[in-house]
Amino acid sequence: MRITIDKLAKAYGFLWALKDLSLDLAPGECVALLGANGAGKTTLLKLLAGLITPTTGAIRLDGVHFSRSMPQLRARIGFLAPADHIYENLSARENLHFFTRLYNRNAASPDLDAALEQVGLEQRGDELVANLSSGMKCRLSIAKWLLLEPELLLVDEPYGVLDGSGIDTLESFLRRQCARGSIVIMASHHVSRVLNLCDRAVILSHGRLTFDESKQQPWPTFDKAFGEFLPSSSR
Amino acid sequence: MTLLRQALLLLWKDTLLELRRRDSLLTMFFFGTLLLFVFNFAFDLAPDKIATMAPGLLWLAFLFTGTLGLAQLFQAERENHCLDALLLSPLEGGALFLAKAAFNLILMVLVEIVVIPLFWILFNLRLWNLLPQIFLVTLLGTIGFCVLGTLMSAITLRARARELLLPLVLFPLMIPVILATIRCMEEVLRTGQFGDQVAWLRLLLGFDVIFLTAGVLIFDWVIES
Repeated sequence: MRITIDKLAKAYGFLWALKDLSLDLAPGECVALLGANGAGKTTLLKLLAGLITPTTGAIRLDGVHFSRSMPQLRARIGFLAPADHIYENLSARENLHFFTRLYNRNAASPDLDAALEQVGLEQRGDELVANLSSGMKCRLSIAKWLLLEPELLLVDEPYGVLDGSGIDTLESFLRRQCARGSIVIMASHHVSRVLNLCDRAVILSHGRLTFDESKQQPWPTFDKAFGEFLPSSSR
Repeated sequence: MTLLRQALLLLWKDTLLELRRRDSLLTMFFFGTLLLFVFNFAFDLAPDKIATMAPGLLWLAFLFTGTLGLAQLFQAERENHCLDALLLSPLEGGALFLAKAAFNLILMVLVEIVVIPLFWILFNLRLWNLLPQIFLVTLLGTIGFCVLGTLMSAITLRARARELLLPLVLFPLMIPVILATIRCMEEVLRTGQFGDQVAWLRLLLGFDVIFLTAGVLIFDWVIES
């Protein structure tokens, strides 16, 4: 899937959360979406997911104008929100069963077991999600997208709730997604970690795109752009 | 086909959640029963007043208990931003509407199966042979309540005081359904048949079909905005 974002803007009332943003994303790219709080990262992710509609501008997936009224395009997009988007009073296995059926994927019981095992939840599959910790819920979200294999995966601040092995599971999953040609866009404040994973960085500031480059080593332009909106202690 | 398959999947999920939590059904059942006892203490129905009073009292009980159920209808979707998960998926809005309306209908019918005979017993009504006609009218009215209620519940979903707002929006729009069911039930209780009140029955059917179709068609837009 190729994504073209053309002069995208989103206003909430009189406040422009995102303005005049243009990007072109190729298959297999892993993009770090960086910026201070309120820079417009989550707004951009929600626009790409079709959860909100742009005020102006357009998103094209493989040249096709993306809007919510296209279920077949929505099925190709995933949104990994840690500990969110799963039902508390269903078990981990029931959640996976529900969402795979909803996406019209015929995942058999062994597939669900394999996904749970990959994220380290093989012993907790029959437990209600309400009884799982935030980290485990995030692992379950990873298992969900592992089964659904979206062509565009949007990840919103995943590191906060995961422990060391959870982070390893997440990163190996995201690497596999990129290797099979999916686009991954990850918004995070854990800059060094996310830069280690991604091959391109995009910085938003006050809703505008201020930096967009592929990863280099060393990377003085990034250091300069990054230093402009965050104190050095945040790096 | 996809619409029905998705609706059944959502209905399975909602039923499973209700079996686990039992919030809505138990609350509705106890509230409905409680209302009947309050009515029983408050009104002394003389036999000649039964036909005019009973339908109104029964529908008051259904409206209030049904509104309790509607207020809980999207509770599971509000937790963990699950509504976003559904909006993100290839789910058709019409399927979500059908599933939610059907789930609410199941809850209300279960409550009515207990409440109507209990009403007959508490008010010492001897017209047991009329129960099938009463159930038929009630079912048509309940379908109308559920389809319109699901639409209104979705419209008020993101409102701050949604529990207060929902009956204020819903009840005025329910007037045709309430009027039609009460007129039909009155006639059945008085004469044992629908007689010349069949026009009200047709209005009920028309209301159900119109709002069911409208719900399926516009629910995508309603839930997004």
